[in-house]
Amino acid sequence: MSQSLTPMEDAMRAKLTESLNPTTLEIINDSHLHSHHKAMAGVTSKETHFRVIITSPAFQSKPLLARQRMVNTLLKEELAQEGGIHALQLKTRTPEEEDRMKAKEAEQ
Amino acid sequence: MATVKEMPDESAFASTISALPPSTLLVIYFHAPWAAPCKQMSTVLSALASTYPADAPLSFLSLNAEELPEISEQYDVTAVPYIVLQKDGRTLETVSGSDAAKVRAAVEKYAGTGSGDATKSSLPPLQAVTKPPQNAANGANGSANGTKNLAAYAPSASDPKTAPEYTSSEPASKEELFKRLGELVKAAPVMLFMKGTPSAPQCGFSRQTVSLLREKGVRYGFFNILADDEVRQGLKEFADWPTFPQLWVGGELVGGLDIVKEEFENDDEFLKDYVVKGGPAAAAT
Repeated sequence: MSQSLTPMEDAMRAKLTESLNPTTLEIINDSHLHSHHKAMAGVTSKETHFRVIITSPAFQSKPLLARQRMVNTLLKEELAQEGGIHALQLKTRTPEEEDRMKAKEAEQ
Repeated sequence: MATVKEMPDESAFASTISALPPSTLLVIYFHAPWAAPCKQMSTVLSALASTYPADAPLSFLSLNAEELPEISEQYDVTAVPYIVLQKDGRTLETVSGSDAAKVRAAVEKYAGTGSGDATKSSLPPLQAVTKPPQNAANGANGSANGTKNLAAYAPSASDPKTAPEYTSSEPASKEELFKRLGELVKAAPVMLFMKGTPSAPQCGFSRQTVSLLREKGVRYGFFNILADDEVRQGLKEFADWPTFPQLWVGGELVGGLDIVKEEFENDDEFLKDYVVKGGPAAAAT
């Protein structure tokens, strides 16, 4: 099997899917937007900055902080490792919230 | 030697200013007792003031931003410490945050360096006491001769420019560190732990958070985690949160930029209690 070019993203996808059973899971790699930043000097990874949009019933009745903590816990290793995830933007929704948002957007 | 004068109320401020010639350089310093960086800034300003003779054409005025809300609003103070340099009724420059070097530079830009009468202060004697050559304009070069008299001031953890070189006298034990962090997150009712300072954010997410808070008129204290690696790493563990910026309200973690954005979108009352204009005065701890 050939090496994946996106090992970080693959790991994220696998972990989040397995634990949260998301109905929507989008992982967007924004690393190229930040690669010129001073803080990123010397970093060779192309997988440092991500945006994750995730809809899962597991987030039901959990405040935003708790939801993001769940994701952080699942991705603990990747966040902690040297040259791993440097920044993570999260949108955490329940299926009902996602539907409500879509309905609002459709109205506008 | 000059000293920092505390203004207890609005009328004291008004009468002090009107008693001074308009060409006096006013260094107006807004602080809040609950903001830890302010204690450092108070020390810095006293030291700086002491390097100027008492009859120098400048005056250091200290105002408790919470107790004098009208003046704070007049000067658009949204975060402390905050320093305004004013002359002839015009604002020349403002310095936000706890960067001692920046404050020194700004004051010297307009007032020249203090002459050597620092013998009465608690600072050690100067080496180059005679009027330094024209470096008042080079305010940014903190190590130039005229500013040596402030070298006795050890940079604090929240002083952004010099803190990376600062080594603490003993490394704090984990327990001590967590105790310190516990206090730090309560340093203000709303505390932002960010990369950089509100006037010079060093990260896009921090910058957006600052922007959002400013847009909503929220009064907050801030801490530059780039200036203190102990806090930077310690707070990640203390908060069980891996990234910055971090917004804390009432000593509790609210979250980062994403959460703050969403809270503002979903909740009209979010942080309303801490808004500068129109809202009730920020609660003191």
